[in-house]
Amino acid sequence: MVAPPVLYNGHVDFRMRLVLATLSGRAIKIDRIRSDDMEPGLKDYEVSFLRLLEAITNGSVIEISYTGTTVIYKPGLIVNGTVTHNCPLSRAVGYFLEPVLLLAPFGKSALSLTLQGVTSNGVDLGVDTIRTALFPTYNKFGIMRQELRVIKRGAPPLGGGEVNVFLPHVVLQPITLHAAVKTPSVSKIRGVAYSTRVSPASVNRIIEGARGVLSITGCETFIYSDVARGEESGKSPGFGVSLVAEARSGWCYTAESVGGPGETPEDVGERAARALLEEVALGGMVCRSQVKSLIVLMVIGKEDVGRVLIGKGVIDEGFVRLLRDIKTMWGTEVRIKEQEMLDEEDEQAEGLDEYVVSIKGVGFVNSSKKIA
Amino acid sequence: MEQQNKVHRAVRKKSQKVAAQNNGQNPKAFAVAAPRRLERQARRTHDVNEKRFHVPMVDRTPEEPPPVIVAVVGPPGTGKTTLIKSLVRRYTKHTLSDIRGPVTVVSGKRRRLTFIECANDMNSMIDIGKIADLVLLMIDGNFGFEMETMEFLNILAPHGFPRILGIASHLDLFKSPASLRASKKRLKHRLWTEVYKGAKLFYLSGVMNGRYPDREILNLARFISVMKFRPLKWRNEHSYLLADRIVDITHPAEIERNSKIDRKVTIYGYVHGTPLPALNARVHVPGIGDLTISDIERLQDPCPTPYQEKKDVEEGKIKRRKRLDDRLKVIYAPMSDVGGVLIDKDAVYIDIGHRSFVEGEEKGVGERLVVGLQNAKTTLGEGAAGIRLFSGAEALHEIKPENDEDDDIRKGNSGRKERRQGRSINGESYGGDSDVGNDDEGDDEDEDYDDADAEEAAYSKSMASGLVDNDEGEVEEFDFADSDSDLGDYDDVDDFDVDSGDLRWKSNLADRALKDYQRRKWDIGKLLYLDHISPEDVIMRWEHEQLSSTVADGEEEDIEDASDSENGGDDFFKKRENSSILPVNAEVIDRTIPVYDDENLKDKWSGSSAAFALVKGRFITRQSDENDEINSSDFDGDGDEVFGNFEDLETGKTITGSFAEEEKQHSVSGEEEAEEQKEMSYDKVREANARKKEKLRLRFEEEEEQEDDGLGDDDPEKKLYNTWHDAQKAKIAKQLEINKAEFEEMDSVTRERVEGYRAGHYVRIVIDNIPCEFIETLDPRFPVIIGSLLASEDRLGFLQVRIKRHRWHKKILKSNDPLIFSLGWRRFQSIPIYTTSDSRTRNRMLKYTPEHLHCTGTFYGPLIAPNTGFCAVQSVANGAASGAFRIAATGIVLDVDQSVQIVKKLKLVGTPYKIFKNTAFIQGMFNSALEVAKFEGATIKTVSGIRGQIKRALSKPEGHYRATFEDKILMSDIVILRAWYPIQPRKLYNPVTSLLLNEKTEWQGMRLTGELRHEKNLPVPQLKDSEYTTIERSVRRFNPLRVPKTIRSGLPFKSQIAMMNPQKKESYLQKRAVVIGGTEKKKRDMMQKVMTLRNEQVRKRQEKKQERKTAYHKKIAENEEKRRERERKDKREFFKRQGKKRSAGEPGGGGKRHRGDDE
Repeated sequence: MVAPPVLYNGHVDFRMRLVLATLSGRAIKIDRIRSDDMEPGLKDYEVSFLRLLEAITNGSVIEISYTGTTVIYKPGLIVNGTVTHNCPLSRAVGYFLEPVLLLAPFGKSALSLTLQGVTSNGVDLGVDTIRTALFPTYNKFGIMRQELRVIKRGAPPLGGGEVNVFLPHVVLQPITLHAAVKTPSVSKIRGVAYSTRVSPASVNRIIEGARGVLSITGCETFIYSDVARGEESGKSPGFGVSLVAEARSGWCYTAESVGGPGETPEDVGERAARALLEEVALGGMVCRSQVKSLIVLMVIGKEDVGRVLIGKGVIDEGFVRLLRDIKTMWGTEVRIKEQEMLDEEDEQAEGLDEYVVSIKGVGFVNSSKKIA
Repeated sequence: MEQQNKVHRAVRKKSQKVAAQNNGQNPKAFAVAAPRRLERQARRTHDVNEKRFHVPMVDRTPEEPPPVIVAVVGPPGTGKTTLIKSLVRRYTKHTLSDIRGPVTVVSGKRRRLTFIECANDMNSMIDIGKIADLVLLMIDGNFGFEMETMEFLNILAPHGFPRILGIASHLDLFKSPASLRASKKRLKHRLWTEVYKGAKLFYLSGVMNGRYPDREILNLARFISVMKFRPLKWRNEHSYLLADRIVDITHPAEIERNSKIDRKVTIYGYVHGTPLPALNARVHVPGIGDLTISDIERLQDPCPTPYQEKKDVEEGKIKRRKRLDDRLKVIYAPMSDVGGVLIDKDAVYIDIGHRSFVEGEEKGVGERLVVGLQNAKTTLGEGAAGIRLFSGAEALHEIKPENDEDDDIRKGNSGRKERRQGRSINGESYGGDSDVGNDDEGDDEDEDYDDADAEEAAYSKSMASGLVDNDEGEVEEFDFADSDSDLGDYDDVDDFDVDSGDLRWKSNLADRALKDYQRRKWDIGKLLYLDHISPEDVIMRWEHEQLSSTVADGEEEDIEDASDSENGGDDFFKKRENSSILPVNAEVIDRTIPVYDDENLKDKWSGSSAAFALVKGRFITRQSDENDEINSSDFDGDGDEVFGNFEDLETGKTITGSFAEEEKQHSVSGEEEAEEQKEMSYDKVREANARKKEKLRLRFEEEEEQEDDGLGDDDPEKKLYNTWHDAQKAKIAKQLEINKAEFEEMDSVTRERVEGYRAGHYVRIVIDNIPCEFIETLDPRFPVIIGSLLASEDRLGFLQVRIKRHRWHKKILKSNDPLIFSLGWRRFQSIPIYTTSDSRTRNRMLKYTPEHLHCTGTFYGPLIAPNTGFCAVQSVANGAASGAFRIAATGIVLDVDQSVQIVKKLKLVGTPYKIFKNTAFIQGMFNSALEVAKFEGATIKTVSGIRGQIKRALSKPEGHYRATFEDKILMSDIVILRAWYPIQPRKLYNPVTSLLLNEKTEWQGMRLTGELRHEKNLPVPQLKDSEYTTIERSVRRFNPLRVPKTIRSGLPFKSQIAMMNPQKKESYLQKRAVVIGGTEKKKRDMMQKVMTLRNEQVRKRQEKKQERKTAYHKKIAENEEKRRERERKDKREFFKRQGKKRSAGEPGGGGKRHRGDDE
């Protein structure tokens, strides 16, 4: 008597649903995937993601219907290993890497993943953002020692980039998080501005633009420049910047932007800097690009209550959908309440509209981890 | 009057020793008298301290713990029932006549005990071993330990040892006190080797009035009441429940239609372990299988502790009880029909003590009428005619049962399950309704609700109604969609009191009020999980609510600050309104980086400092050490631009540089606050301080350390606690405190949803689709356990385990023979393959388990997390028991996976038929050139150890090949190719469904191959090649090396063969040859003849003697055999006599001891 599959419909949150299914071990069935669309069914990147899942797991069964509008996924066990994956150019490698980061720590062994394709496209998390902002968030859960090396930078549309990710740390379960007391203060701003197949001067122009906007913060700002030359560069020209506002406690806010056609580097820098300010202004412990990973890691913790502070602006439709998906998968609910000010005269928290999200872990244990 | 003092006592003389000490000659003060002893003492203290340490484990027992499960286990006839009766009598003054199922009694202020008797059955022993907190191990003191006891102890070990209390009974049967004492000692030491040194063994003497002596029982009860329990790992991660009541609630009509239909069953019991999830929990019921809980509900505790009851009375949850009831309440054993009153979800059953109705002997018209109705083949309205409710109405043929509908609502997550859902929702009817509901359930959670303000209730009522609407699509009045569209004209609703002259507003006041609440009270926590509201809608509603509520709050609270806050608020929320986040493009919906509205952001973050003022405090500036204020001049060029004076063109207001103004405002408001505080009464201040303290208390260390980065070595943990152990324990305690505080903040409905039903709650579980055999063959003597499954335990796959045959089990175990495992909650049969790891390069299959070693086993089954222990038996059926020890193996899970790599050694053998120098042609290994091609390059080896390689197939004789070796091989050599053949374990997972049988102790799964052969009388198949025959090894004779003369002469000197020429001279002996002759010769001849005769004589005598000897030995052996046979018979008879009580015991236990009757 095996539990019936969990039913979802539509292509929304495709990756996250598969991740939740893999972590919980429950089979899922997703139907009506773009069934009313001109091109119905799964997109190339979604199929590619399914392939990647198949590669890092053992015993997964994936059934895609003839039209591609229905997918049945029976998850196997996460085994990791050494995997090379060629990502389609429609999405950046961040699209594939982000869910893998959630799965890999709960596998059997270390994961060494090489992803080829577009390294950042302004839609999915760029590789620099993942390294500088997502890894510190994972460290909060006791998942350490991640390494990400950009071997080649690939800009859209032709990509040609290559990223090597090494995730050696296999854990039994994430540590219960307690971060609901104080919104972190940004102590420094860091960033990486990169360019490939364009004049190296554009990187400096990006940095200049970003620093110009960020100067009002008065914060120590340093933006590294990374100019890809020769072998290191991909097939298309492009530039962009990824900014991270770090707090002393290790929490960080992030924003990035990628140069589009006809955009000046200064514009790109300024845009990223403004987005960063916007993210900082939302408050909470994390910004919007990290929050989903954070919530999932909290849910699969021990059977204790973890708490985290979340800015109001961070709670959006995607957040609500995630919580609902979690409920259908594990039956657990998340509690959200308004943050009470400890000190009324705490000036820095003023004007922030923050919520404490408290989550009781589901008592997840990485069952594929070997002993002895 | 003169004061009279007591006469002084004479000063005592100081002893010489003391005097010496005072003179500075105290030896103890300057040196250690016995350093060795001191060292030993110190070491011992250290050892004792170290022994205290266990791995820190979270104890999740709640404040009001569930009853302690006390299992009484022992072979039949040891007095288990008598013990339970005595203990129940001791606690409740209640004499039980018949014990069926668990019996719960209150044993102390905060402790309850559930007694359960373990039947003499492997299934029951396994199940009870997994849930018992305390095991009362009954041992027949007069007989000694029996096999069942040993088996039970070995079942306990891999599943986590619960507390064990040995109880030796029947001690009155000893004739002499000396033998009693000796026996006690022997028993005690035997128990110690099994449990731990110093394990308590109780002694019970004879039975009086069907009970053990009161004094002994009192002592035992005291012992039980002070017992402490350590959390066990498995139970600390899973929720479980011992069913103490089981009711079939399938619709009788459906059973009538099909008696084999799957049943809907309610199971009652106390939750143990971790909280039981509130929604669709997957559970395993050992003996049935994996099931899904369709509904859980908390019921009033049928057996509350005095502490809880007192608390409830104080809180006003229940009325003070009359003294009379107390006696009824302290025992709860619904299966044993004790106590007489049964409280159910919607009924109270009172046992009137006697049966007033006997089937077939109906009295009166009423009974006959009812029986007649029951006997009807079809229900009313079934069939073609249908049922007509009103005259002239259409005949109804089918109607959805109302019950189901209620269930549907319940499945939807309206927390208020108990309350009846009104058909039409009117504010007026609400109050009364809720009261009724409360009376019915008497549920304390609901009482909470009533205390809460009516608004909240009305709100949630409306929510519930929303759900109803959605499910049925009937009532459209308050559909959420309607209220949503109304959201736009909030102002109209707001100023309805202005129009109050108009009577129109009165028309649907209640309606408006409801809508008002809906608007005001949108709590994100509740909105989140209303599945019929789309996520986009959730956010929209919530943000609207935010807007209106802040405005309202601002108006209510401080009008002085209003302008400020409104400005700020407006600013903030306007930004959200025409949000900086653009509606996400439908094409790329699964994006991570949010979409920003660039134009908006540009306005917000460039130039104007208004937006930045809000976040200014969040940045630590470079100058913050020297100067707190932000000094614009220190920045690079842009600084002036940002902070310089400028004029806002739209408003025409001039904004001066820096934030001085704002800060001034802040300080002003700060002063005002201070004044306000003064005005506040001290009580309020105290309250505020208390609140603050409470919040600080719940901070986790990690949170506190956050701010100072780079702590490195001086970790606060190390500072505060001496040892790592202490620090860990403190951490665990803190986390528990946080959990508790967090959950206590919630109302009980939310709490149950978030946390689940925690241990200690008495719950009613509804499970659909239980096979009908369970209900039909239900026997309360066999425990029914519900164990929750973690998400990952619901999958099947291969388990790799470390396994060891139990040293008491008679036979070694064979690969591919089925074995019944008890792993996790489950008992199942699977087919293991035993393997060993060849220096970690491969898993090689073993035919049999090694004699005294662990080996690895692999089998197909449910994926249980590594590090879980298990035990295995070959058969659980009592009928198959031969009296030998049944636990076949124990072990632990090492790894789980979906595929395994096990190989079997395969040796291919061939012989050379033509040998060149290092090359040979080999035949007989393969059948075709294709096979050879597959193995080209493979290593081969001769028996003598010469290594080689397969080169190429020969064209002519099919399957022959050419191979090269490191040396020339012999024609007599055998060539071996060693290969590994991958094998897969068979995928058999066969849960032991013992609870579905009529004979619950006789479950039989797949039989062993040997058993089958034995039964069918089949011989063991034997390959001719595998037979062992005597090996004949003829002695190889090698001819001497002869080199022909011609060659020899041609050899160079170095290679000349050194040969000696034959001696030409006569040797000494040849020269001295003596020739015997004459008498001497005759003498010798004579002597030889005599000796020949004698030898012959001796030989004959010897032969005869040998003959006699063999006959004698044969006789001796015969006698010996006879003796042994007789002894065996005697022994068998003796044990038969001794174990007589066993034969009386029915398979399920409950055997009465007959020896007692002899007296």
